[in-house]
Amino acid sequence: MKSGSIGVDETRLPVYIARSRKSTESNKTGSWRIMCPQYEEKTSPCSATCPAGEDIARIQMLMTRGSFKEAWETILMENPFPSICGRVCYHPCEAVCNRLEFDEPVAIHTIERFLGDWAHHYKFKPPFERRELRTEKIAIVGSGPSGLSAAYFLSWLGYTCDVFEEKPEPGGVLKWGIPSYRLPTTVLEREIRLIKDMGVTIRCGLGVSLSFLEELKGRYDALFFGCGHGRMRQLDIPGEEQAVDGLTFLCDVKNGNPHELDGTIAILGGGNTAIDVARCVIRLGGKPLIVYRRRKQDMPAFNEEVKMALEEGIELWEFFSPAKIERNKESYLLTLQKMEMTGLDELGNAVVEPDPGKARRITVQMVVKAIDADAVESWQKPPRNGGNVIHLSNCVMSIEPSGLAQVFGGDLVAEIKSVVHALASGKHAAIALDLLFKKGRDAIAAGFQKCAVGKGPPFSMKAYLNEEEGLRSPSIVKFESINTDYFKISPRIIQPRLLREERIRSFSEIDLKISAGLSINESKRCFNCGICNQCDNCYIFCPEIAVVRDASSKERHIDYDYCKGCGICVVECPRNAMVLKEEQS
Amino acid sequence: MKRVLEGSQAVAEAVRLAKVQVVSAYPITPQTHIVEYISEYCATGKMEAKFLRVESEHSAMAVLIGAATAGVRTFTSTSSQGLALMHELLHWAAGARLPVVMAEVNRALAPAWNVWTDQTDSLSQRDTGWIQLYCEDSQEVLDTTLQAFRIAESVNLPVMVVLDAFYLSHTYESVDIPDQEEVDQFLPSFHPKFQMDAKNPCAFNQLAPPGVYMEMRYNMHSAMEQTLNYFGKVEDEFNRVLGRRYGAVEAVQCEDAEIIFITSGTVTSTCRYVIEKLRKQEEKVGLLKIKMFRPFPVDAIRRLISSVKKAAVIDRNFSFGASGIFAQEVRASLCNIPQHPVVFGYVVGLGGRDITPEVLEDIYWHTKKNEIPEQENQWIGLREVDHEIESC
Repeated sequence: MKSGSIGVDETRLPVYIARSRKSTESNKTGSWRIMCPQYEEKTSPCSATCPAGEDIARIQMLMTRGSFKEAWETILMENPFPSICGRVCYHPCEAVCNRLEFDEPVAIHTIERFLGDWAHHYKFKPPFERRELRTEKIAIVGSGPSGLSAAYFLSWLGYTCDVFEEKPEPGGVLKWGIPSYRLPTTVLEREIRLIKDMGVTIRCGLGVSLSFLEELKGRYDALFFGCGHGRMRQLDIPGEEQAVDGLTFLCDVKNGNPHELDGTIAILGGGNTAIDVARCVIRLGGKPLIVYRRRKQDMPAFNEEVKMALEEGIELWEFFSPAKIERNKESYLLTLQKMEMTGLDELGNAVVEPDPGKARRITVQMVVKAIDADAVESWQKPPRNGGNVIHLSNCVMSIEPSGLAQVFGGDLVAEIKSVVHALASGKHAAIALDLLFKKGRDAIAAGFQKCAVGKGPPFSMKAYLNEEEGLRSPSIVKFESINTDYFKISPRIIQPRLLREERIRSFSEIDLKISAGLSINESKRCFNCGICNQCDNCYIFCPEIAVVRDASSKERHIDYDYCKGCGICVVECPRNAMVLKEEQS
Repeated sequence: MKRVLEGSQAVAEAVRLAKVQVVSAYPITPQTHIVEYISEYCATGKMEAKFLRVESEHSAMAVLIGAATAGVRTFTSTSSQGLALMHELLHWAAGARLPVVMAEVNRALAPAWNVWTDQTDSLSQRDTGWIQLYCEDSQEVLDTTLQAFRIAESVNLPVMVVLDAFYLSHTYESVDIPDQEEVDQFLPSFHPKFQMDAKNPCAFNQLAPPGVYMEMRYNMHSAMEQTLNYFGKVEDEFNRVLGRRYGAVEAVQCEDAEIIFITSGTVTSTCRYVIEKLRKQEEKVGLLKIKMFRPFPVDAIRRLISSVKKAAVIDRNFSFGASGIFAQEVRASLCNIPQHPVVFGYVVGLGGRDITPEVLEDIYWHTKKNEIPEQENQWIGLREVDHEIESC
């Protein structure tokens, strides 16, 4: 007897179940779809606000992966000066960071500085090849941030650039204006070296006079003016000539030729120059006193600068306007007119008028004038209107009948006078000139539109060179579009700084270094608004397994044969990098 | 080889000897020891099964449905709430005709929380299409578990081996553990009638319209009916190899009996003692043990007890709004035969309350005294309670 056999033919016991070999291919679930999810990268508010249009969300994403080189290169596509901007930029990007509504904005500038310094430490070179050499040559007047930026981008685009600098060393306001406790000279020098290495010639000690300008016009196909505002405006008060010019004062300090200070130094004005002067004064042993005609919150200086200055013990007199400067032996007698507030202007700033009969007189060691500055020469001012004038973002271009193009940039044009606006101005000038030389003036407007970040400005060199794989949607990611379920509250990194007592004794850099680990942690706080960081939520949550991970690249795509259009992927995308659209019939 | 071991271990030994390939379970008192033993066997290499830990009983059964569809021998074990949570998939396993075997340790359902024995959990799954076999002692547990695989794989229906909480699951008894060779002789390796095959793909259990669904249900019913006949043959074979048999029902001194007890589970042993005692007092009493609840052995019951006057059905379970569930089934079996015995339904021992010989004797005298039942279900040993909410 066979083992296990018990006299029943087990195979005859019936089993009748539902089983089918028919194909279901004819009714793929994708045919049910009425809504269609798509990957659609959007614009982060930080990028749209950064005058240089840096791809900040992607920089943070690369940072979290430890891809420091790639992150640094991503900055370099839009801004040649990460080490500088990481230190001196007033980072408007952080003011619009979506994280602000969640806990605190990401310390974007801290990471930018880290990347710039890190790339220098490892001696990285800009990643891109210069474009094919062009025959056009461009003269750049001034080696401040706008001029250097123009040289950098134009050189990259294949143009030969010569920079003419009046001072013995390049850098403009970066070199002569910004004190080294904010921007050490070595940092500036190494980022300028990077531009020189690209083949840009910087000819220092060669000021451009009107006659020399005419000569340049004959030798070059285009001129860029980035010579900035080097002369203080007039106060029109008696004894004004006895006041020291703020920019000159800062330049003297940089030259290691400081004034001997021990008494009160009155600084007239409320802009960044006034703040820088005051902070230098305290470091040189003087007692700075800022005199400003309106309120503290109306000062044009960047808020953080004002805050740091006050922390350092700088005195501020609000509602005083200088009336007269008189020599009094070794010191000066400064007469100040009391002002009173009569209302608010459309920007919310105080409107003031002199309060008759109320004045105050003080004796000071020195008076420094740090009010609005202006162009040194009238020919440096941009033309206002006319058929040959094109107004661009942060620069103005005029085309002479001869075909010579002149672009005015930097502080000569900018509404907000900042380093990053100057850099943007140089980039925009480069794009405009490239469009002009290659496609003619009529192509300029359309060319800019194509490379706008968001709706523009800013404008992106990466987009201009069409190196971005698919164009990003101009729509700017709002906080409400972030799926905050996927983020934890985490405090912003605290910038380690010199103690106040140490700060006011020297010109050492105030902001100390931050480690790679802490920088990565900070970058992890970024929502990466609008860009895919391959978190795979879409892949994990798709009930139809219709999200396909491509083996070849970092990308995902949707298999529309099976996607039912439920939209779960779009809802679960933490960072609004997907969109649900009505299915096109 | 005889060993003294727990009822839980008797189950585990049978699962080991049956060379089960996939086990998936979620722990619940009083089933826990069963899966603990099995997981230990898997960990130490005594068994080569894949033991899959899951987050719920629902998932445990889902795992086994997948594994059995792929054509391997499968086992799980649960109790009470765990079985209730499995309910949906119990239907699925049966409808998909998958030979899954489960050890079900009878435990009362909550609330109130009660971990002691009570048959309502398994009996409330009576319409799922699972074969149900109730055991009296640990030897029967081991033997029935081995038989369960043979039955399940032959008729393509899942089998539930049911044992009482603690009285069986946690009580140590002498058990004869068969050799592997003997078991292999009785239980050959599993050769599925159908299985998932990646080389020849097909959809299982897809939409079945009214035109075919009813036939599928009738086919399950036919398999159940065949099981009644088939079970005897499996027992013959088991008896030939291992020398033991139990029967779908077992009649004890029923030939000349006027009153018989009808029991299931461990109370049967108590009842054996009671009828011995009553016989000594010259009472004409017998016992019918029901092992197989699904399919219900209607013909055997009719044949064995049609000549007795009264049947006292002991139910450690209850169907609210009706009566004890075994009593229902017995009444239904007898109603269409003339002059059938009067059926007395007794509800006892719910939630693990002890059923002592005295309780069963009282039931006997009560049955003898009354011509017909005073009520359709007689609750035995109820205490007087005031109707306060708090009781413990």
